Amino acid sequence: MKTIILTLKKKSQIALEFDELIPDKVFNWDKAVFENYQVPVGNRRFPLTDYFDIEVEGSAEGPEEVKMILDGDFGRVKYIGCKMSAGEIIVNGDADLHCGAEMEGGKITVNGNAESYAGREMRGGELEIKGNTREFCGCSYIGDWRGMSGGKIILHGNAGKQLGECLSGGEIYVKGDCDILAGIHMNKGFIQIDGDVTRWPGGQMKNGNILINGKLGMLLEGLVFDEIVINPEIDGKSFSGKYIKYTGDIAVNGKGGLYLNAEKNREYL
Amino acid sequence: MEYILKNGIVYDPANNIAGEKKDVMFKDGKIVENVSSDAKVLDVADKIVMPAGIDPHAHVAGPKLVVGRLYRPEDSRKGVTSKTDVCRSESGFSIPSCPATGYRYSRMGYGTVTEAAMPPLEAKHTHEEIMAIPNLDITPLPLFGNNWFVLQWAKEGKIDEIAAFISSWLKITKGYGIKIVNPCGTEAWGWGGNVHGIDDPVPYFDVTGREVLRALAQANEILGLPHSIHVHPNDLGHPGNFPTTVNTLDCIKDIEKKSSVRDQTIHLTHAQFHSYAGTSWRDVESGAGEVADYINKNKHVTCDIGQVTLDETTTMTADGPMEFDLHQLNGLKWANKDIELETGSGIVPFIYSGKAPVSSFQWAVGLELFLKINDPWQVCLTTDHPNAGPFIRYPRIISWLMSAERRQEMMDNNEVRVWSYKRTSLGTLDREYDFNEIATITRAAPARIYGYQDRGELTPGFNADIAVYDLNPDTIDPSKEPAAIEKAFGNAMYTIKDGQILVKDGEIVKIVPSRTLWTNVQGFEEQEKAVMEEVMPTFTRYYTVKFENYKVHDHFAPNPLVTTVQAGK
Repeated sequence: MKTIILTLKKKSQIALEFDELIPDKVFNWDKAVFENYQVPVGNRRFPLTDYFDIEVEGSAEGPEEVKMILDGDFGRVKYIGCKMSAGEIIVNGDADLHCGAEMEGGKITVNGNAESYAGREMRGGELEIKGNTREFCGCSYIGDWRGMSGGKIILHGNAGKQLGECLSGGEIYVKGDCDILAGIHMNKGFIQIDGDVTRWPGGQMKNGNILINGKLGMLLEGLVFDEIVINPEIDGKSFSGKYIKYTGDIAVNGKGGLYLNAEKNREYL
Repeated sequence: MEYILKNGIVYDPANNIAGEKKDVMFKDGKIVENVSSDAKVLDVADKIVMPAGIDPHAHVAGPKLVVGRLYRPEDSRKGVTSKTDVCRSESGFSIPSCPATGYRYSRMGYGTVTEAAMPPLEAKHTHEEIMAIPNLDITPLPLFGNNWFVLQWAKEGKIDEIAAFISSWLKITKGYGIKIVNPCGTEAWGWGGNVHGIDDPVPYFDVTGREVLRALAQANEILGLPHSIHVHPNDLGHPGNFPTTVNTLDCIKDIEKKSSVRDQTIHLTHAQFHSYAGTSWRDVESGAGEVADYINKNKHVTCDIGQVTLDETTTMTADGPMEFDLHQLNGLKWANKDIELETGSGIVPFIYSGKAPVSSFQWAVGLELFLKINDPWQVCLTTDHPNAGPFIRYPRIISWLMSAERRQEMMDNNEVRVWSYKRTSLGTLDREYDFNEIATITRAAPARIYGYQDRGELTPGFNADIAVYDLNPDTIDPSKEPAAIEKAFGNAMYTIKDGQILVKDGEIVKIVPSRTLWTNVQGFEEQEKAVMEEVMPTFTRYYTVKFENYKVHDHFAPNPLVTTVQAGK
């Protein structure tokens, strides 16, 4: 087991990029390698030691034996855990854009907030964010129609716009509130939102399921009332309570399911 | 500066040199017979030496490319490289950035590329993009097959007016020859429809593809342009379209050739997409046999293939209705554009996968055409970049053409699905191209088809456009070593352009600005003047640009290579 601790000593105004500092690449690095490493900052590179105190303990045979602890405000560090396939990263602070993007395995825990594009194109593993995140969490790359396809995102705070855009697999759990267009263009997978949703979940969804336990502001016309279900079972998971089930989005001949908590949304009954 | 490429194995089909060990010498950018003792020696002992590659049909510059890049950022992120001391950073896979386009062609040993669809209205922009592409000479072909003036005169049988119009418009747009895309079909798309076959009239103008093709072919020969009409026929990609293709080729057969620099009167482009039998995608069969048979029997035809490479790519063509059909088929994002009075276009991403029956079938039809057309001077290697795949796959296609074993292996291993041999005859074909035939379909034939008098052969006086590949033809067995063939043709040992070494050992070592090839017709000034008087009222009434802003001024082509022809001579 190897533990790598990076403690922030200077915050850069321009974002640092951490996609080279993932367990898959650093599992055999000793302290000297880290100290010689130059981290990308904008269009240049600077020594990692300019920004962090580095501690390395133990050794690892592979990425799965690596635990990286990032202490401090990483709010200007992009691509944390991007493309990682195993191991663990814990961020004791905020994370900047693309945290956990294209992740294939392992676990990332962000104990602060994460910026937009958290968990973009995830294929596996687990991303847990204790704070809030912003737009395009669990989405596709800009322009692409293939989004997150596996793994799990657990968000304890609030999500921004277009959560799980083009979702084609995996699960997203949001404990807080969610802004517009959750699950837009999704064709598979599952999104659960426990807080309130402003409007338009499931726009242009082809398939997959969205479950909302909070209050919904506005429903899209493309999602049509199907039935009232009690204690539904969705994708092998059981839920207790009364839900209003909608199907859609009929604008794209979609067969997706939107489950709305009936108690919180009595005006939709 | 004098150079001597020493002891290479030379393939120069135009001079009937097929694998002879000899020296190639050049001085001040031209091939020469002798050099002085001061000449710098480049040792290429037992390596393949060919003229630099010539791509007769690709889409590398123009508004379609820009829209493609804008709406496919997910393509731009592929193939990203950092800048080097010589090169700018690259991006993109199927629609690479302008610098990447130049570098990647250079690395394959190519020197000349045709931009096969330039809408006259967007000609300025096309030339701006050509300026941004390094290391290549680019031949833009303006689109005429759906032009309102052409449609009107074709209906009225006014061939001389069309000839004068073409002559004038080649000057206005700085274009090289006549490109025809889905004649009448793109105009019909303006009415929400398409035409099927060459005898289906377009709304309003009430003229057919046959009349337009014949009129433009006749105009082409009246002017004696160095290239023939360059035709993308109707019904692209529709099962059962091969009779349309054969009819297209046949309908201009009687028109007499008036140019000595080429052999054909019609060039059929991306023939693969036009060689399907059957009635629907359920019962589709290959029509490659029939199309190849027609080409074998008729010397007035040349073609390029548009080989499917089994990649995720971006389709883009002036065939607007076809792109809408494609969007309906795969459900992916679609861009559509009307070019007022002239043409239209569409763009749809497409995934050609060996796991899909249709893609496997298309892959096999392309190879079938390559193998069934007997005369390599009538066929060229293209992927219709980026429509059937990106041009960086040419080396891979060469490896397929040179190895029947590799083709069989792909069919046996399920790298392509059963439709590749159940719906085509590819499994029965064991022909293998040799290096001389490869040199023909990638260099000599395109040069002859375009009537180039300065490239495509290693004749003294010609441009010193030379490619050297790290292969010894005496020791390599292309049939057994397709990976080595692909690697060598993808990473030229030397790419020499106008006597300057641009690539060494697969790396770009020098950047030169691109040049623009266009055709200037002389001896038709009176007719042009008369036709402009006829054109201007319509132009002023319907175009949203002023004529003064329409013309491509000289500074849009700062490095022109003008082919001057005397009309009718």
